[in-house]
Amino acid sequence: MPRNLKIILGILALAVVLGLISLQSLRGRMRRLAAARAAEEQARHAVLAAPISTPTDVTVKAKIFWAAGPDRVAPVEVEIPLSADPVERSRQLLLALIANPPTVGQRTLPADTTLSSFYILPDGTAIADFSDAISSEMPSGILSEEIAVNSIARTLESNVPGLRRLKILVHGQEVDTLAGNVDLTGFFDLNSAPVAAQTVSQSVKPAAASSVAH
Amino acid sequence: MLATVFAGFVFVAQTRPAAAQQEQQQANPTTTAPQPPPLQVAPPPAPPPSGPVIVLDPAHGGTDTGARGENGLAEKDIVLQIARAVREQLARDGDRIVLTRNDDSNPSYDDRAAAANAFRDAIFISIHVSSTGTPGTVHAYYDQFAAPIPLATTATNGSKPIVTETNGLIAWDEAQRLYVDASHRLADFIQSDLAQSFSGSPSASIAAPVRTLRSVNAPAVAIEISSVSGSTPDSLAAAAGPLAAAISDGIKKFRQSNSAEVR
Repeated sequence: MPRNLKIILGILALAVVLGLISLQSLRGRMRRLAAARAAEEQARHAVLAAPISTPTDVTVKAKIFWAAGPDRVAPVEVEIPLSADPVERSRQLLLALIANPPTVGQRTLPADTTLSSFYILPDGTAIADFSDAISSEMPSGILSEEIAVNSIARTLESNVPGLRRLKILVHGQEVDTLAGNVDLTGFFDLNSAPVAAQTVSQSVKPAAASSVAH
Repeated sequence: MLATVFAGFVFVAQTRPAAAQQEQQQANPTTTAPQPPPLQVAPPPAPPPSGPVIVLDPAHGGTDTGARGENGLAEKDIVLQIARAVREQLARDGDRIVLTRNDDSNPSYDDRAAAANAFRDAIFISIHVSSTGTPGTVHAYYDQFAAPIPLATTATNGSKPIVTETNGLIAWDEAQRLYVDASHRLADFIQSDLAQSFSGSPSASIAAPVRTLRSVNAPAVAIEISSVSGSTPDSLAAAAGPLAAAISDGIKKFRQSNSAEVR
């Protein structure tokens, strides 16, 4: 065999060995990155959807509005510890609304949604600030967006006295629409809309004590 | 639009003295004063078309696909196809039709509203396809505004009142507020017909804060077909005929009810 050919074959063999080594290294790095991302996601939810417990918590039957069929929401009675403080009470209710729908079909808000902050102005205006997921993962359509907003508004008005209207923010900002259709630049009246149909009684573990499925 | 009105106003203001001078000269032909060269003025802008107009608004467009089905269906394409079919059918009835878009563009909410606000007697129909809902059903929506907070309350916390109506001027963003009752009646007429053509659809329309309707200064309704999931392109396209019939019939009943009210 000519000397030049031997050298070329040697270089090629070396390149293949080096390629295999670096491929293994890349695979390992990808696995570590994926694990880190999952851990980061878990940590984010652990912080943002952390169980809310206050000294004034009392277990009561709350009415939480989930989807009841393809085009309406209806209340489901849930035993849940709720605070006497209206802000904490609202946060506990919205966490339960996001985390604990009785079935997948009754979900009204995307599972990845988190409530970033919630506060109440002196005139009774409730401000609910949700993460981007409420918008980016919401199925587009007047029907689905209206059901989502209705479930939030009706859940708050049925369980938190004194609220007059609701403003929804996404990632701390006022946005034009929820997912392209329902207007979020205005306010939603609370304690004025007719309450939907029949209440379905159900025992659901409280959001505060449950883990969020993602 | 405002620019056109303003330009028209300025045009009128500038040409009036020249016209008056011309009239004076015609009345006194013996005047010997030196005459300035005649002004070369552009022809006046065409007046806005009169008569009732139906503005069809295929929702979304461009990069905004709207609802998407698992089978690759995009709301923006289906609604354009349906709007074109509805336009043909309504035009056969003798109605004047305007589309807010006739290609894959995405006009802003204001541009869509302006397409209707340019006419004195318009009806605005926005066409949508949902992601969810029972396939084959159709819902008609009219706009819903939150109740204004009393001024006494807003004064204490420094926020603006929701209605900013002064001297008869209506805020662009609140234009639909004056038409909520009319839009509700129109939506009910259309929904009543839809319930007969599309089994399982509700018999009454729904109030919802639909962004596209908010700035429309005319009776305005959004119609949403369910859904991109569980439907085929053919079944959605086939909805155009009954949809056009329901819209046409609903508008006729709405106009008749308006005429009866005037009498």
